[in-house]
Amino acid sequence: MSQPLVQVRGVKKSFGTTRVLDGVDLDVAKGEVVCVIGPSGSGKTTLLRCINLLETYDDGSIKVDGVEVGYEDGGGSRKRRSERALAPIRADIGMVFQLFNLFPHLSALENVTLGLTKVRGISKAEATDRATHWLARVGLSDKLQNLPSQLSGGQQQRVGIARAVAMGPKVLLLDEITSALDPELVGEVLSVVQGLAKDGMTMIVVTHEMTFARDVGSRIVFMDDGRVQIDGPSREVLANAASHERLKTFLARIEMKH
Amino acid sequence: MIAYVANTLPFLWEGLLVTLAVSGLVVAISLVTGILCGIGLVYGPLWVRLPIRIYSDILRGTPLLVLIFLIIYGLPIISIDFGNYGSAVIALAAFKTAHVAEIARGAIQSIHYGQTDAGKAIGLTFPQRLHYVILPQAVRRFLPPWINAVADAVKGSALVSLAGIVDLTLAVQQVIGRTYDPLPMYLLGAFMYFAINYSLSLTSRRLEARFAYIRE
Repeated sequence: MSQPLVQVRGVKKSFGTTRVLDGVDLDVAKGEVVCVIGPSGSGKTTLLRCINLLETYDDGSIKVDGVEVGYEDGGGSRKRRSERALAPIRADIGMVFQLFNLFPHLSALENVTLGLTKVRGISKAEATDRATHWLARVGLSDKLQNLPSQLSGGQQQRVGIARAVAMGPKVLLLDEITSALDPELVGEVLSVVQGLAKDGMTMIVVTHEMTFARDVGSRIVFMDDGRVQIDGPSREVLANAASHERLKTFLARIEMKH
Repeated sequence: MIAYVANTLPFLWEGLLVTLAVSGLVVAISLVTGILCGIGLVYGPLWVRLPIRIYSDILRGTPLLVLIFLIIYGLPIISIDFGNYGSAVIALAAFKTAHVAEIARGAIQSIHYGQTDAGKAIGLTFPQRLHYVILPQAVRRFLPPWINAVADAVKGSALVSLAGIVDLTLAVQQVIGRTYDPLPMYLLGAFMYFAINYSLSLTSRRLEARFAYIRE
C-alpha cells in the first residue's frame, strides 16, 4: 500500500491536566472521505485542529503528504515549527469551521480571493476567476459581492467551503460544518460536500450527520476518550454497531436528538 | 469691546496654533507607539508584554501634570533635557501612548479567535493576518474610544501652559493679565477648545458610520 496522504501516529494532546487526545492513530488515503464521529469531548475537533496545527500536539506524529506538520524534520530533538514555516503547510490543508469564520469585512468573493492572492501569489484577475468558479460551484454566483452578514447560514458555510477548496488543498478538514445551521439549511451544505467527494477530494469530516457518514463517507472513525475506538468502512461500522457498547450508546443518543 | 477682542485675536491665534501643533504631534506619536504597544500586549511573548503592561499601568496611574513636571524639571538633574517644548510633547505622548495601547488591545481582543483560525487555515502569516483580517475589523472598535482620547489630548495639552509654553490657555491668561477682564477671554478660549473637539466628535460619528457595515 502506498503511503497514506494523512498519517496520524500516537498523537497526544493535553489542555492543562486534561488529556484530550490519548494516542490517536489514523491513516487517510488520497481520495478517501473519513467521517469522524463520537461524543462531545471525545477529541474529534482537537484532532482536526492538530492536523493543521491550530493546536499543537504534544506527542506523536502527524504527516500530511509525507511532511511532519508540527515539528521540523531531522535532528534528535523536536523543534516546533515557527509560525512562518507553518503558513505554507496550512495553505495546503483546507479547513471549514463550525461557525463559518468568514471575514465579515470582506465580500463573498474577497473571502475566497484573499488566500489566493496573498498566499498563493496569484494575480487578482486570475484569483477572481478562480473564486468566481468555486462560488458558482457552491451555487452562489449571484452573491459574489454580498458581505457575510447579508447571507444565510447555509450560504455563509458554502462560501467557507469555496474559500477552503479554491486554495487547492491536498486534504480538506470539515469541523461539524452543519452543527450551527438550521435543519432546513443542512442539505444544501452537505450536497456541496458530496459533490467534492465525487470529485475525489480527500476529506476528514467531523460530523453528527449519520446519514451523510453512511452514504458519503468511505470510512467511519469512532472516537471516545481521546482514542480511536473503531475504524472501518462506513456501512460495516454502522451495521455492526450493535456489537460495540459505546458506539451503540452514542448512536442511540444521537438518534434521540433527531 | 469687539475691537479689543479683535485686537487679541492674532495673539490667541498664535496660541491656538501651538495647541494644535502640540496636540497633533502627541496624537500622531501616540497613535503609532500605542498601536504597536497594543499589538505587543495581545500577541507578544512575556518579555514584550510585561514591560508594556508595567509601563501602561504606571503611566495611566500617574497624574499627567506630575509627568510633565518630572520630565521638564526632574530629568535635567540627571542631564536629560529636552527643553520645555520637547519635554511637554514627550510627557503628553508617553501618557497618551499608554491609553492608546489599551484601546488597541481591547479592539484587537474583541475580534473572535475564529478569525485568527480562519486566517491561519488559508495560510496567512502573522503580519498578513493582522493586515488583512484583524486590524480592518478592529478599526471599528478602536475609533470611538480613540477619538475620545484625541479630544482628551487636546484638552490635556492645556497643561503645557504650566510649563511656560504659550499655548491657547497661556495666551488667554496673558491677555487677561493685560486687560484684567477674565470672563470674555476665558469664554472665548473655552469656545475655541470646544470648536476643535466638537469637530472631532463630528468626524468620529462619520467614521463610525463609515465602518458600520462590518457586522459579525
